[in-house]
Amino acid sequence: MIEKNMTLAWRNLWRNRRRTLITAASVFFAVLFAVVMRSLQLGSYGTMFRNAIESYSGYIQIQQEDYWENKTVDNTFPYEPGLREQLTSDKNVLETIPRFESFALASSGPTTRGVMVMGIHPEKEQHLSKVSEKLVKYRLTPDAVQAIRAEPQIPDKVKELLDLYESHSYTGTKRLQLDLKIDDDDAEDLMPVILQHARFDNGHIQLGEPGAWVGEKLSRYLGLEIGDSIVLIGQGYHASTAAGKYAIRGIVKMPLPDIDNRIVYLPLDVCQDLYNAGDNLTAISLHVDDNGDKAVSATVSRLEKVLAGQLRVLDWKEMNEVLVSQLDADNKSGMIMIGILYLVIAFGVFGTVLMMTAERRREFGVLVAIGMQKRKLASIVTSEIFMMGLLGILGGCMAALPIILYGMEHPIVFKGEFARIWEDYGFEPVMSFQGIDTYFLWQVVIVAVMVVIALGHPLSKIFRLKVVNALRA
Amino acid sequence: MKILEIKNVHKIYNSSEVQVHAVNGVNLDFEKGEFSAIVGPSGSGKTTLLNMIGGLDSPTEGEIRVDQTNLAGLKSSRLIDFRMRHIGFVFQSYNLIPVLTAKENVEFIMNLQKWNKRERDKRTYELLEAVGLKDRAHSRPSKLSGGQQQRIAVARALASKPKFVLADEPTANLDTKSSENLLNIMEELNREEGITFIFSTHDQRVMKKARRVITLEDGRVISDEWKKKNGSS
Repeated sequence: MIEKNMTLAWRNLWRNRRRTLITAASVFFAVLFAVVMRSLQLGSYGTMFRNAIESYSGYIQIQQEDYWENKTVDNTFPYEPGLREQLTSDKNVLETIPRFESFALASSGPTTRGVMVMGIHPEKEQHLSKVSEKLVKYRLTPDAVQAIRAEPQIPDKVKELLDLYESHSYTGTKRLQLDLKIDDDDAEDLMPVILQHARFDNGHIQLGEPGAWVGEKLSRYLGLEIGDSIVLIGQGYHASTAAGKYAIRGIVKMPLPDIDNRIVYLPLDVCQDLYNAGDNLTAISLHVDDNGDKAVSATVSRLEKVLAGQLRVLDWKEMNEVLVSQLDADNKSGMIMIGILYLVIAFGVFGTVLMMTAERRREFGVLVAIGMQKRKLASIVTSEIFMMGLLGILGGCMAALPIILYGMEHPIVFKGEFARIWEDYGFEPVMSFQGIDTYFLWQVVIVAVMVVIALGHPLSKIFRLKVVNALRA
Repeated sequence: MKILEIKNVHKIYNSSEVQVHAVNGVNLDFEKGEFSAIVGPSGSGKTTLLNMIGGLDSPTEGEIRVDQTNLAGLKSSRLIDFRMRHIGFVFQSYNLIPVLTAKENVEFIMNLQKWNKRERDKRTYELLEAVGLKDRAHSRPSKLSGGQQQRIAVARALASKPKFVLADEPTANLDTKSSENLLNIMEELNREEGITFIFSTHDQRVMKKARRVITLEDGRVISDEWKKKNGSS
């Protein structure tokens, strides 16, 4: 009988084929748009968080109790031998990454800027920020551009773009290829020539050897090249003077432009010497096994017990409060947009249901007259409307899926002026897609709620149906 | 054997300005196997009376008993169930379910009653044969003529072997030939299977075929005539 009812519902659905298709299409496009938009929005948030976390804060940090509120070198703590063991004994902590971070004035020639000085353990930092991978590997210096233009195989359209991207730096070949609009087919011939002229050699920094890596934007501002010197002046531990001169060993291009504009990396011990801080640290970042929200909070709780108030444990949300609230606000505005979209679609669905109910009032009367119980009739009408919603939602999800899967492999990378605008706002000019997640399920829930609300009308008509009146309709 | 008793039935409609006494103190009994017509001018109360007999509407006063069951005593869902099992309906404008084939329309009530497939198929094809439309079993109503649709409606009404069939102006939308054909089929089913038919009609052909003609005027029975076997009153 259920099968018969479903057959009846399915056939009823196609009685007015055009209307059903239009209604299902409206749900389809709403779901498609909502899913792709959510994927893009959540994916981009993910990228921004990842950039902020992995290039700077890490997922969890251990700090001296007052450091977060008052970031001075006086609020540091000694890196005692037992502490590392204490921290790594937690099941989610793989490695401790010690850091010493402070501020200084940086000068090169006549130019000065306030910078963030970060003392790092170069090898351990590979677990988290992977700073060495952010070293500039290619740069389109004026000389390099001239040399590339002189190569006979370089096509004119690439030569034009070379002018546009002169002085740009790259940490890998992909972005360079994208900027110069070189197809994968041509890349095999052209890229080796371009890379040969654009190669940019950096040196490494290591513990015990004075030397610095500076952000790419900062290096431009201060006019620094490899081998130049940077002078840092600041306030050291217990009001001592911190001053030092360091050779530039490398230039790093940080994904967050704000950090790129003011970062100076020094080897940890060199940095501690600069600030006269002995073995003290400002923070220990933790390399965690599972960086999911739940696992991170659980780890924080466990560590808080272990450290018993001696040191403070912060998670990435606390450390990136501004970014979290900015993205939360953006997320809410996105949700409001989707809400408005669904509201419009809901009225469309309701209109269809209203018409369908009015058109079939007489038929409802006949069915009840000849012996169909109202609840059975209601279940058939419910199935019809759910099928219509389901058609739209399944179609929408199916259509969105390949777009999202493609987008995950090929994030949208902005170029030219637009990219620069994003960078000026402090964001990496990349829009990523988020994989299949609960947001897919939410679309099902929203459409289901929409359908349930729309169902109220026909169900109320059916249960209050007066057969005699319906037969006269 | 009485299968239907109508005792002092009144139906009063109260509109904002006037009170309409659509059925006014009707008393009637129907025996099994009757082939009866309720006739009268428009507004005489035929359809209202038929609706009350079928349990589609309730009397303001009085009692309608089908096989000793007082319809007024049944709750809404029990009444629907009662209609499904005991009363067949044929409507003026056929009212077949447009998305079902002729066969599916006929077996619709048997499905509601959860008959098994073998019995359902047997009964459906018997009825389709009886109304002469076995070859159109898989056609949708939109592919059938008005006369054919009304014959399917008769087959549907008979599907669950009801105690009687109520037919409200069954020939009103049919041409002469289709009307004649339909009446012959119903007469044959009445004669051979003993099915009770009660019509409301204006149609002289139906009146001629009916063995009992009840005339209503202003909601009252003004005559109740039985015909002799040769057709005269």
